Amino acid sequence: MARMKFLCDAERCIECNGCVTACKQEHEIPWGVNRRRVVTLNDGVPGEKSISVACMHCSDAPCMAVCPVDCFYKTSEGVVLHDKDLCIGCGYCFYACPFGAPQFPQDGAFGLRGKMDKCTFCAGGPEPDFSPAEFRKYGRNRLAEGKLPACAEMCSTKALLGGDGDVIADIYRNRVFKRGKGSEVWGWGTAYGKPEKQPAPGAKS
Amino acid sequence: MHDNRGMRWLMRLFVVLCIAVLPQFAHAQSASAAGGSAQEQAERQATQPGNNAPVWRDVRGGDNASQTTQVRGIETNVLVQSGGETWRRLRNGPITIYGGWLIIIVPLLILGFYLLKGQIKLHGQPSGRKIMRFSAWDRIVHWTTAISFVILAVSGLVLLFGKYVLLPVFGYTLFSWLAVLSKTLHNFVGPLFVVCTVLMLLTFVKDNLPKAYDWLWVRKAGGLFSGEHVPSGRFNAGEKTWFWGGVTLLGIIVSASGLIMLFPNFEQGRLLMQQANATHAIAAVLFMAMSLGHIYLGTIGMEGAYDTMRYDGMVDEQWAKEHHEYWYNEVAARSGRAPGAAPSTAAASAMKEGWKL
Repeated sequence: MARMKFLCDAERCIECNGCVTACKQEHEIPWGVNRRRVVTLNDGVPGEKSISVACMHCSDAPCMAVCPVDCFYKTSEGVVLHDKDLCIGCGYCFYACPFGAPQFPQDGAFGLRGKMDKCTFCAGGPEPDFSPAEFRKYGRNRLAEGKLPACAEMCSTKALLGGDGDVIADIYRNRVFKRGKGSEVWGWGTAYGKPEKQPAPGAKS
Repeated sequence: MHDNRGMRWLMRLFVVLCIAVLPQFAHAQSASAAGGSAQEQAERQATQPGNNAPVWRDVRGGDNASQTTQVRGIETNVLVQSGGETWRRLRNGPITIYGGWLIIIVPLLILGFYLLKGQIKLHGQPSGRKIMRFSAWDRIVHWTTAISFVILAVSGLVLLFGKYVLLPVFGYTLFSWLAVLSKTLHNFVGPLFVVCTVLMLLTFVKDNLPKAYDWLWVRKAGGLFSGEHVPSGRFNAGEKTWFWGGVTLLGIIVSASGLIMLFPNFEQGRLLMQQANATHAIAAVLFMAMSLGHIYLGTIGMEGAYDTMRYDGMVDEQWAKEHHEYWYNEVAARSGRAPGAAPSTAAASAMKEGWKL
């Protein structure tokens, strides 16, 4: 089965924030929560680079490891999801995540953050596929519809690739060969550099 | 939510003060000079177009002014924050493993001591005359601190070890409820404990100042093993160790690190919160281990210790003479009689009535 990954091609990203908008629109995300963001390095300097970043669905996810109620789970496609009914809003996943993916709807005074929200790779949550509860808590389940993440599909320069890790790596490799530069695959070492933690038996695919 | 400028500034000052106290992580983020790499990248572009090494070095540092994002928030312009992995290794590793064993082993040692030596009994006959050891204020401060401490300890243990100990027994849903309860209690009792710690310090600092005769107590380990009476002031060196090492040092560490995590809305970054969490957990586990010794000696470990704090704050003169001889002599001298002489019953009962809760 495919192992889902994100890859952002820094040679192509033009910082249009189309992915950010697509994500907000697709999942009807509340104000203040940003499942995806675009960061520009050396803004305004020749050779500036932009990268779109969200949850990378790590192979050995730190959020999963530190969650005190073990509310995270991994699908058979390697997508890291969580159960908002179990989440206690402690913020440990936010401490642990290298990418700044976990988001909270409240500002956190007295530790009241609300339930954590993050990118689902457009794969919904533990509720039945396409149920109103799933949409309300996690957004649309595009994977169950046979589609890929909205951010990557909406990307105007096809800088952001989301899908089967082997397929997007091939696409990227061809690009690097053709243009002869920009071979750095940002974030992959951090996200996928460790042995894959196997999904729990019977995990939702 | 960020309207109160003065408050924000104060909190920043507080955070900075805390950083000075908190141990730094082994591989704290290497601070790259702001803008330096941007210039470096521009130079690199002239000589080697296509070589983006300076850019990629920037990825891990967030303090680069030319690294920007449209998303507002704290550290949203940071692409990779590597402190989280260190924190994870520390928390899920040594803190959970050694901390867990400490919480198991210390009660076993105490149990062993109890089975071996039994309760420390009063050796002489109770005199029947009582003197005041803890005023109503002392007792209120002590018990407010103690009860909030126990609530924080139990809820903290649930959050650190519950996943391994309770979750397999309770199942996900029930354990999640328990964790929500623990987290909420922890977050709202915490500030009360901070206030209590300050009151504890003010209330008991005078009689906890070290004295020359404390050395004798330390050298003889308080007679805990030999059973002999080592004279001491109102508090002996063991109690002073608990006061300075536990209540004061660990109390301030857990309070400061706790407040950093409790109010994440003062623009503190993740590195500081990771450090605060690790410090909080280490200090809290040590605090709990120390408190077990205090709780043991204050309850079943020593005859007559619990009743004093629990009820009217009065102790028998014989108890005072055996355990805190210098203090007893002081009290006796102050009440204008030779050590051991009977106080007037009227004065004693008036004192007793007056301080009854």
